[in-house]
Amino acid sequence: MGWLQSVFNFRIVSQYWEVFAQGIVNTILISAVCLILSLSLGILVALGRRSSNPLIWRPLAVYIQAIRSTPLLIQIYLIYYGLPALLPFGNFLNETQTGIIALTIHTTPYMGEIIRAGLESVHRGQIEGALSVGMTPRQTMTNVVLPQAIANVVPPLLGQTAVLIKDTSLLSIIAVFELMGAGLRMFSETVIATESYVTTAVCYLAIYAMMLGLSGLVQRKLGGSAWQEN
Amino acid sequence: MEWFAHKWDIIDQLTPFLLQGLWTTFKISIVAIFFGSMLGFILGVLKTLQIYPLEKLINTYLHLLRGSPYLVQLYIVYFVFPSFNISWLNFDSFTAAVVSLSLYTSSYVTEIVASAIFAVPTGQSEASRSVGMTKAQAYRYVILPQALKMTIPPMASVYVIVIKSTAVLSVIGIAELTRQGEVAIMRMPGDIMFIYSLIAIFYFFYCFPVLRFSKWAETRFGSIGIDLK
Repeated sequence: MGWLQSVFNFRIVSQYWEVFAQGIVNTILISAVCLILSLSLGILVALGRRSSNPLIWRPLAVYIQAIRSTPLLIQIYLIYYGLPALLPFGNFLNETQTGIIALTIHTTPYMGEIIRAGLESVHRGQIEGALSVGMTPRQTMTNVVLPQAIANVVPPLLGQTAVLIKDTSLLSIIAVFELMGAGLRMFSETVIATESYVTTAVCYLAIYAMMLGLSGLVQRKLGGSAWQEN
Repeated sequence: MEWFAHKWDIIDQLTPFLLQGLWTTFKISIVAIFFGSMLGFILGVLKTLQIYPLEKLINTYLHLLRGSPYLVQLYIVYFVFPSFNISWLNFDSFTAAVVSLSLYTSSYVTEIVASAIFAVPTGQSEASRSVGMTKAQAYRYVILPQALKMTIPPMASVYVIVIKSTAVLSVIGIAELTRQGEVAIMRMPGDIMFIYSLIAIFYFFYCFPVLRFSKWAETRFGSIGIDLK
């Protein structure tokens, strides 16, 4: 086993397993919080984007295009340095909370566009039918449109969630401790690149594999037309 | 008014410096999209041939690249590859940037090319085979010309992804737009927000037209329904 030790030193990696476990937990937690926030805001953005009031949809369109045309790293920097100045009682947010806010602001437009596409995928006749049998617009939304839209929306949402998980790695640059941060800490303490970064990659791939398994499960449960191409 | 004059002064001083960074961003992104498209095209065509072990191998390659963040891939190419003690893997930072970004791009292009080829109706390849073309001829003269047209809109979106990913290269010290901005901030630490906003505007004017083109191309060349992240 000597040659293997010289290629990849498992003993050093095993010394750092707690750091990486903490990193994985933090990455999943940050992603989960961002997912919940950006999904709820994304629904609002999608509904606002469909509004006929230009005072509502125009600013949202600008927001969506601005986020899509600039790198996440720049957005993180802008939030990280800019947000404390906007807060009324000084900076009470730590890096993790700032990072979550930045990632949520970044992910919301993508979620919003996915949800909007899902809402538009519901056939017009469905809405007309629901209204003509006497449902209120609200009832039409909750009982007719949303159940159909959700089935079409879940596959791209899972894809976007996988992207969100990968995007959390950029938070390591503003000193948030997550999986990438774990790899960076191991590298700064041991100065062995292979073990540090390959372990990080393997952990990300493990999370990704979990996501793939989950989406297979949802696919079997939910069906829906959007699955067909894969 | 004084505030405005001060900010204008910063813009005046920094623009040439930032444009230099934008030029590097442009160079790296063009080189990466070129090599990434070549590799992605080959892998995409190979994937559609549906040869069992090869297809599995390509899918594994795609999963490896899609499942890990670009930042990690960059660190692996820049820090881990040199430790293999193979002289040509001892990249300088520019080569490491181009290699990692090309590999990353190829994962997107492979999927685009493969789904575009699958989107060409099967009748097209059956018809070309039945008039006596070989499989290679059918690809060369019938399927690929139709498929490549459909790749134009998603390829524009991939190009935007590549441009945005170059911002990450600042961590290994490539003097691209973000890095130039960070250097500028070291000189003028009082104007962090303003300088970052300026960089964001530069990126916006670079990426936004490409995104608009992608949308226009979709109405012109049709959509293959591939969802890029």
